[in-house]
Amino acid sequence: MINAVLVFNNAGQPRLTKFYTQLETSVQQRLISEIFTLVANRPATACNFLPLPPLLANSSKSSTPTTPHNDTPSLVTYRHYATLYFIVISTSTESPLALLDLIQVFVQALDGLFENVCELDLIFNFETLHATLGEIIVGGVVVETQLDKVVEGVKAQGKVAKRPVNENKGGLSLAGFGRGDGVWAGR
Amino acid sequence: MFEKSLYDLIRGLRNHKGSEKEYINSSIKECRQEIRSNDMDLKSTALMKLTYLEMFGHDMSWASFNVLEVMSSPKYRHKRTGYLAAVQSFRRDTEVLMLAENQLKKDISSPAPTVISLPLIAVPHVINPSMANSILGDLLPRLTHSHASIRKKTVVTLYRLALVYPETLRPAWPKIKERLQDDNEDPSVTSAIVNVVCELGWRRPQDFLPLAPRLFDLLVEGGNNWMAIKLIKLFATLTPLEPRLIKKLLPPLTKIIRETSAMSLLYECISGIIQGGILEAVEGTTEGEEVARLCVGKLRGMMIIEGDANLKYVALLAFEKIVRSHPHLVSQQQDVILECIDDPDISIRMLALDLVVGMVNIENLTAIVGRLMRQLRNAPIASSADDPANDRGRFSSVVPYGDSDDSDAEESLRPESRSNQPPPLPDDYRVSVIRRVLEMCARDTYANISDFEWYIDVLVQLVRVSPSTKASSATEDDDTEHADDVGRGIGRELQNVAVRVKSVRSEVVDAAQSLILVDRRDQMFPASGNGGIRVLEYAAWLVGEYANCLAQPEPVMTSLLHSSSAQLPPRILAVYLQAIPKVFASISGSDQLSWTPERKTLMSLLMARIIHFLEPLSTHPDLEVQERAVEYLELMRLAAEAAAGTDTALSYEDFVDPPLLLTQAIPALFTGAELNPVAPGAQRKVPMPMPDDLDLDAPINPNLNNLLAQAELAAFETDDDDVYAAYTEPITSYAASEAQPSISASERLDGQQKEPTSYQNAVEEEYLDPDIIARRKAERRERHKDDPFYIDPEGQSGSGTITPLTSIVRAGNEEVDIDAIPIMDLDLSTQRGAGEEISRSRSPRKPTRRVEIMGDETLGPSEPDSSRDNSTTPRTSNRAKKSLLQVDSSGLGSLSLDDDDDSGSSRKMTRLEMERKEQEEQEMKKALMEVERLRLEMQRASERLEARGEVAVKPKKKKKVRKAEIGGDDVPIHEVIHEGADSIGHQGAEDGTEEKPAKKKKKKKSKPGEGDVGGDGERDDETVAKKKKKKRRQVVMDEGVPNTEQ
Repeated sequence: MINAVLVFNNAGQPRLTKFYTQLETSVQQRLISEIFTLVANRPATACNFLPLPPLLANSSKSSTPTTPHNDTPSLVTYRHYATLYFIVISTSTESPLALLDLIQVFVQALDGLFENVCELDLIFNFETLHATLGEIIVGGVVVETQLDKVVEGVKAQGKVAKRPVNENKGGLSLAGFGRGDGVWAGR
Repeated sequence: MFEKSLYDLIRGLRNHKGSEKEYINSSIKECRQEIRSNDMDLKSTALMKLTYLEMFGHDMSWASFNVLEVMSSPKYRHKRTGYLAAVQSFRRDTEVLMLAENQLKKDISSPAPTVISLPLIAVPHVINPSMANSILGDLLPRLTHSHASIRKKTVVTLYRLALVYPETLRPAWPKIKERLQDDNEDPSVTSAIVNVVCELGWRRPQDFLPLAPRLFDLLVEGGNNWMAIKLIKLFATLTPLEPRLIKKLLPPLTKIIRETSAMSLLYECISGIIQGGILEAVEGTTEGEEVARLCVGKLRGMMIIEGDANLKYVALLAFEKIVRSHPHLVSQQQDVILECIDDPDISIRMLALDLVVGMVNIENLTAIVGRLMRQLRNAPIASSADDPANDRGRFSSVVPYGDSDDSDAEESLRPESRSNQPPPLPDDYRVSVIRRVLEMCARDTYANISDFEWYIDVLVQLVRVSPSTKASSATEDDDTEHADDVGRGIGRELQNVAVRVKSVRSEVVDAAQSLILVDRRDQMFPASGNGGIRVLEYAAWLVGEYANCLAQPEPVMTSLLHSSSAQLPPRILAVYLQAIPKVFASISGSDQLSWTPERKTLMSLLMARIIHFLEPLSTHPDLEVQERAVEYLELMRLAAEAAAGTDTALSYEDFVDPPLLLTQAIPALFTGAELNPVAPGAQRKVPMPMPDDLDLDAPINPNLNNLLAQAELAAFETDDDDVYAAYTEPITSYAASEAQPSISASERLDGQQKEPTSYQNAVEEEYLDPDIIARRKAERRERHKDDPFYIDPEGQSGSGTITPLTSIVRAGNEEVDIDAIPIMDLDLSTQRGAGEEISRSRSPRKPTRRVEIMGDETLGPSEPDSSRDNSTTPRTSNRAKKSLLQVDSSGLGSLSLDDDDDSGSSRKMTRLEMERKEQEEQEMKKALMEVERLRLEMQRASERLEARGEVAVKPKKKKKVRKAEIGGDDVPIHEVIHEGADSIGHQGAEDGTEEKPAKKKKKKKSKPGEGDVGGDGERDDETVAKKKKKKRRQVVMDEGVPNTEQ
């Protein structure tokens, strides 16, 4: 299952934090900063999977060799879009490549909702951001991977606010943000 | 209206760059005001702002009651804010959770689908067992809700309910199964159910076998890749239980492998085929071979494909999963996997490292270790303090300035390219590399090592690249092994080699000496941090135990006595204290030399220094250090007295015996039997029932006293005793020990054969520090000084200036006119022949030098598990620590799902279990009654006592009474209580669960007592009734808002 979904920007500032277990706020912050440290040091050509951050590695090491399938989070998958990192922490029961596709769906859904989504949209509409995630993942289990259904589900909850006009300097359009690099086009 | 909206807050943050902290604090203060207002809009906005700030680590637990208020607002907009706040901020200990229960129940039953969604999403985050029990009844009807989105979310929410309250599945599973079997069900819902089944599946695969046909159909129908992946994963756990599935699965899986355009699906197919044991099942058939070739071929393709690190990573992941079951498949790919340990990507490296450890053999060990060492040496040690990002976590919060730069936030381009320089290696990677190196080299008692001198150099180099340990040495506790402490692991290896491999013992001691010497500390240890410092513990042991091998005992002594030594961690210091007298004994112990005034002065000075060092330590806070310091302090004082009291020789001709205490008594403390490695289990194997003819009480030698007395008299004649000889030998010079008398000439020649080729030397230079290489070279030169065939790579004129022969010739030729030397014809053919000769003698695998490695001493056959892995791997704590973020699903393991089927056997089992449980509970009840009775008796007894001891002062009286309770009563309370406790413990064990407090048991008892049939029936009735009610309401709603229902 999926243990957490995080979004933060290039400076490590969280934009979305969703932990599917109850965790102390300070531990959450520590985990975010550990993952950020890991992810920020990676070259662009590196793979999209992170080694476990110290917080998770210490506790899981002892149990992994004995049981290959278990409940311990063992996979940290990320994708980097423009100014944002999207992180998914999951157990080994999830497929790593499929998680990359899932992040892609998430971003595409956001793009569909905001039209050329950018970080500012997510900052000012973080409730919608949560709602979108809620249409895709509930309690750590994926409930929907169809793009249109996700968008439809969010729209059913009410009008999606646009980014405030005066923030949109010159209407910088964000071509490519939602499209990703499409390696796994055949999801 | 002056209050801020969320938008204003974020704008404000962006406008307060530099003073965010104050701004946030003032904003939170405002929120505290606003959230108390009666205006729901204001309250909700404040909550929204707090939730936003919570994301940055600002605590909002104080607002949990307000969260509840907003949740209960009738307006959807407020509700949504409230639920989000609850999800983000409620923790396990949040007290208002109890109050939230009703709100959740109410909203789950709401007619509006958007409202139902809110609790469905929130429940997994806040659920606890008692709450699960209560809202289960409300959730179940939602499985048949007219909206697919509600149905799919309900399925998942029920799964999370089951994780904390496994009984959920009893009523819920049949309904979920019904949904799954329904062909007309919305594909989204089916997919969600498959996801849940997959999560449940690996816990109890046997329960899902009946579903296999339906799942198979879903897989073949295809359409949804995500679901297909999950199905394949599920089937991989089912095939071991149902071999017939394999035949059926193979065609669709190969079809997918060949046809799919989705790499993720392709990958999961392969990994499913391998993990599900499908390869073995079809082994031998042409079909099977084809599949195997297809899978391994595709995986290999993933490894070597250019420019896609992700595929490389997942291929390694697949290899890692199958390496235990299919080692041959993995070893076929050795070449590509070995490449990966040098991959620039650290994630890939780490995976490859795990795999590589299993592939090491005598042929490739040097090369693999060389690669790893090069990594360690060439990457800078990341000092965590330098990295500002690391500091962030230490502050309670992150300052959420809106954005560093607006334009940055709107940037749309691809990830910017970063510098190509390899990032500094993270410490844990370093640690794991070092550990792997040690593990690889030490495997099977050094079976793979052919050159121990190389290994020693590697160990010394490892000390220099070890990362600093986090725990400061001042507060360290001796018992807990620091997981990331590799210094100790390296030290253990040095110790092991010294003990086991006698032929390189002096080299190891040399290495230990170089580590101990204070003036070389900067050179031998990492520049920053205290990395590797713990190797000193073992180095000190080595220089002490093998002090006779020491090349320079005096500098070692100086280093041991250095004032900085006293600051070392107690554990190391204790070993130092033990080493000091040992080294001292080897310096002072000679009785061959006369007791001259010089010697007397020198010894007195040395002892004074030792005493000076030990004195402050006799009050050291660590007991071990203190004890050793006190002991040796006394000994040294005695020795000093003896030395002062012995008169010296007046002239050099006289021979005066040095004091016996120095030459005999102190060395005798540390000599004796040689240390040998003993297998961990050996002691246990000593036959326990002693042979009848062995009488331990009988004196071994009846004449022992006489012998001892004689020995005392004969003390002077022990010169020829080997053990003493080692200590009484005159101190050899450094060069003398270099000669290594233990290695025979032929061995030396072998050594030359064994010398790494120049290619390897070049590699070596990349991972060993210059000084180590220089020493290696010097040693090599030294060793081949007399070898005319050895060509010194650094010789000035190509041919050996060193060989004695040429030097003689040259000396003779000095006066000769160069032109007069006849020019010899260069015979190329013979030259080439010789070259070939050399290359031929070098190229075949050199016979490994026979190095004697002592194995563990043991009795009888050695146990496989008594291997020495404790030396390299850190002791893992037995407590299975629960990981952060982990959701524990172990509770599901014990719950059977097929109770609705006619599988009578499991049914009977449960009934049997029920009966046993009942019985146990009755016993439990009895035990509890007994305890209660005793408690009453005790109370009565204490009352009696109280009445008697009225005169006593109040506080004292209490104490007295308690004492009486414990010991003074004539009822054997201890025993009875013990009995009671025993029976409780016994029952707990029988239950197969942890021991539960008595109270819980009691409460639980009533339910299973009735039998599950009754309980279920009751609940079913309830739910049916509720359903009816709800349905009616829904219908009304449907008529009211037909729009939403479509």
